[in-house]
Amino acid sequence: MRFLRAAGAEVLGLFVADWIQTSVILLIVAAGWFAVSRLGAPALIVLVLLLAAQLVWFARAEARRRRRAD
Amino acid sequence: MYQQLFAFGSAFLGSAVESTEALTIVLAVGLTRGWRAPLAGTAAALLALAILVVFFGQLIVTRVPEFALKLLVGTLLLLFGLRWLHKAVLRSAGVIAMHDEESAYRHTVEELRGAVSTHDWIGFVLALKGVFLEGLEVVFIVIAVGGTGVGLPYAVAGGLVAMVVIAVAGVVVRKPLARVPENTLKYAVGVLLTSLGTFWAAEGMGARWPLDFVSIAGLVVAYFVASRLAVGLIRRPALA
Repeated sequence: MRFLRAAGAEVLGLFVADWIQTSVILLIVAAGWFAVSRLGAPALIVLVLLLAAQLVWFARAEARRRRRAD
Repeated sequence: MYQQLFAFGSAFLGSAVESTEALTIVLAVGLTRGWRAPLAGTAAALLALAILVVFFGQLIVTRVPEFALKLLVGTLLLLFGLRWLHKAVLRSAGVIAMHDEESAYRHTVEELRGAVSTHDWIGFVLALKGVFLEGLEVVFIVIAVGGTGVGLPYAVAGGLVAMVVIAVAGVVVRKPLARVPENTLKYAVGVLLTSLGTFWAAEGMGARWPLDFVSIAGLVVAYFVASRLAVGLIRRPALA
């Protein structure tokens, strides 16, 4: 049982490291879905830009946090 | 043709990284406690993975509509890829330590030395857990890069070839494969998986990409530029 619980946590950990970041990504995907159904291909550019921007933002935020903690 | 090659190459790279990690665990257990238990654990893990793939693979392919599958797999792949890329950026910027197979190997060996008097099935469970969990990542990468179309057999082949190559290399050198440039591979695979995830998720939303599959190259460039920008911003002296 403990092994299964640990395996479950590991599997979840493959996709989720930071719940806030994961929520933001899912929010962007949901907004992208909404925009794509109305605007078509141009919405894809905004979707990619938002996903790339969150990568930069969260990586920078974690770097700051870790350096402050050191 | 390019799509098949791309599926094979991506699955090969991603699976090579995960297989190296699994091999490190099996080698550490085998060289410390003997080979019988870890080899049995490895076989059990591979069997469990095969059952999972056959059972869920059939279930998913026959029950889930293609658009929903693309959206779900794409979103999961996006989360998976962005997690790798996020860590790769932090490693490249020197914020977190590079993953070191030598040190992971030494750490596992030290742990096992403290437990030599206990039962042999510790070796079995350690190998089973390591191979099963790393194997799950391999399965996910293969399904994700193979997608729902013609690329899947090539992705499966890429994953299997990577596992065999790494296993043979492990048997030959009998040491952790520290020379595999794991961090660079993870960076590259992170960019690829994120790009593929975006591609699949958007197709699942009903979007049609300009130039179809070729758009993935543009996504790779976009995410690579963003990751280098993040590394550059983190390295700036003002932040240090």
